[in-house]
Amino acid sequence: MEELLATLRDSLIGSRRDAALAVTARLLEEGAPPETILQEGLAAAMIELGARWTRGEVYLPEVVAAATLFERCNDLLEPALLSSGVERTGGRVVLATVKGDLHDLGKNMVGAMLKTVGFEVHDIGKNAPVDTIVAAVGEVRPEILGLSALLTTTVPEQRRVIEALAEAGLRDSVKVMVGGAPVTETWAAEIGADGFAPDAPRAVQVALAITGR
Amino acid sequence: MDGSRIRTLGRRPAIDVLSREDLERVHSATLDVLETTGLEVGSARVLGLLAEAGAKIDPAARRVRFPGHMVEAAVEAAPRDFLLAARDPAADVIVDGSRGYLSLDGCAAEVVDLDTGARRPPTRDDLRKATILADATPEVAYLWPCVAVTDVPPEAQASYQTLIQLVHSSKHVSAMATYSERDARIAVEMATVVAGSAEALRARPIVSTFQCSLSPLMYDEGPIEAALAFAEAGLPCGFVAMAIGTAGAPTTLAGHLVSLNAELLGGITILETLVPGAPTYYGPYEAFMDLMSGGIGLAWGPEDVLFKLAAAQLARRYDLPMNIIAFGTGAKTQDWQAGAQHALSLMGVLASGDVDLVSATGTIYGSRVFAFENVLLDAELWDIAARILEGFPVSEDLLAVDVIEAVGPAGHFLDQDHTLAHMRERWRARFFGSESWEAWEAAGRPEPKDRARDRAREIVATHEPLPLPEDVERELHAIAARTTGG
Repeated sequence: MEELLATLRDSLIGSRRDAALAVTARLLEEGAPPETILQEGLAAAMIELGARWTRGEVYLPEVVAAATLFERCNDLLEPALLSSGVERTGGRVVLATVKGDLHDLGKNMVGAMLKTVGFEVHDIGKNAPVDTIVAAVGEVRPEILGLSALLTTTVPEQRRVIEALAEAGLRDSVKVMVGGAPVTETWAAEIGADGFAPDAPRAVQVALAITGR
Repeated sequence: MDGSRIRTLGRRPAIDVLSREDLERVHSATLDVLETTGLEVGSARVLGLLAEAGAKIDPAARRVRFPGHMVEAAVEAAPRDFLLAARDPAADVIVDGSRGYLSLDGCAAEVVDLDTGARRPPTRDDLRKATILADATPEVAYLWPCVAVTDVPPEAQASYQTLIQLVHSSKHVSAMATYSERDARIAVEMATVVAGSAEALRARPIVSTFQCSLSPLMYDEGPIEAALAFAEAGLPCGFVAMAIGTAGAPTTLAGHLVSLNAELLGGITILETLVPGAPTYYGPYEAFMDLMSGGIGLAWGPEDVLFKLAAAQLARRYDLPMNIIAFGTGAKTQDWQAGAQHALSLMGVLASGDVDLVSATGTIYGSRVFAFENVLLDAELWDIAARILEGFPVSEDLLAVDVIEAVGPAGHFLDQDHTLAHMRERWRARFFGSESWEAWEAAGRPEPKDRARDRAREIVATHEPLPLPEDVERELHAIAARTTGG
């Protein structure tokens, strides 16, 4: 099993799709506990890849491709994870690109990468009105709300969402993270956001930090 | 400097980086993409009109697919020459392939404060100052709203920007940050007030725009409807694609070129099909994702120049007016990196043939931060480029054989009448330092950016743009005020 887990890690790090899916399936067939496959195989590979990215050894697309593959392997594990009754340890995250804005590449990257560290990601898409976002927070009760905006005309929506959360009495229940090309640390502080990151890998670090992980 | 309102680039050589065969492969691959994949267009109205005109529409997917002949006909319908008029006719931008014109950069999310040097969100006063600076700087031929003003509500941003541009400069105004039909109509209304009538505006369009694709392969509802609103009023509307290689376009240069070309030809096809003969231009703005951080427009390298030259070849193939991009940098200040990247990208422009419009000066940090001193530093580079293209004359007098004979071996030319008569023809730096080390130390080690900042402050404090009639200015303010409050 150790050998297969090592192969799984290598396949994920190298984004070898067929191999990663086949090894995941094989591990399950051979009776490996799904949480072991998840933790020692998939998650460990993402941690290793993150470390390599930090050292400047791999490019961002390699991390994103691995994160996408992580999700597909995780889908294979899902039924077994459910029946094994293991509690999810990661928190819930709601992600949205604010109203008036159709740019969702950055948000999607952040979503894919948050999943790899165990977060349960509820992506409510792009062009999301304030009410929809607030309703999603009320329903999902996430630890983190991530708001993306790329246009200088839509960035102010991030402030409106934070204000609406306060009016709905939900502001204290959730940490709000903001991102997008025009978004800066100063803006994040001005609108009272809890976190800001200039790129997807750092967004993961910030998400972990503000939720105390 | 000859006192002209605007300083342009003359005829430029064209360096081909693609062979004729490869150029045709890029073109036919683009037609394949437009016919097979097509574009997503967010406007049901535009999709309906395109269906009537013969495009294949999938309304559920909001997808339009163009047969090749439709694209070719649209490119054919676009005029090669048109005018971007200025309030001051001496600053007219005549788009006919013979001159290259530089614009101010657009809608930066932050500004470096001219007084304190701090990076912060821009206000209307920053845009006013920057517009005055550009009005006074001959190398800047026409204006974009160079910062996104944040001291008005977002729904009033576009109208206040156009107002400030029209009031504080008599150069041509590009309302490039106009993202909806409503904002386009407001820009047209303002331009009409200044021009005097709709007919006068049509004859001398003092305002134009360009609209952007959302890469890959999309036009959102607001921008495409804005494009039609400008074109219907007779105002030029270019198309610009800012596809980011590796993120919003393939990571290979060839694929990046195909994807971006499809977005531009698609936009031009929509416009020329629905408003035939509308003045437009082809604006490929290459940008690249930083492979490590995912940052946009921060990574600058040889691909930038290669892409420019290949895209210029495509524009020549289509005989379309072209808007090329220069002065991109990931630098955070006016340092060696910014200078080298700006100069090298400008050298790319110098080899790109009949490019009409060159964007854009004034920003650093991937076009996200506007810095006043940058405008003047870029102007100095532009002036050098313009001077290089002018070449130098040769005549009996200029060959100076008599003077060489008079001075003879081991003499000097300092006190010759010939020297005194011609030395002021030599180019002189405004911001580059050429003082001695000692003088530099004594002056507190100034850098070009320090001299440029001082000069920018002086210009902003003293330059008086050609004013608008008071009643016209009042009416513009009234129109802008109408846009606040939803």
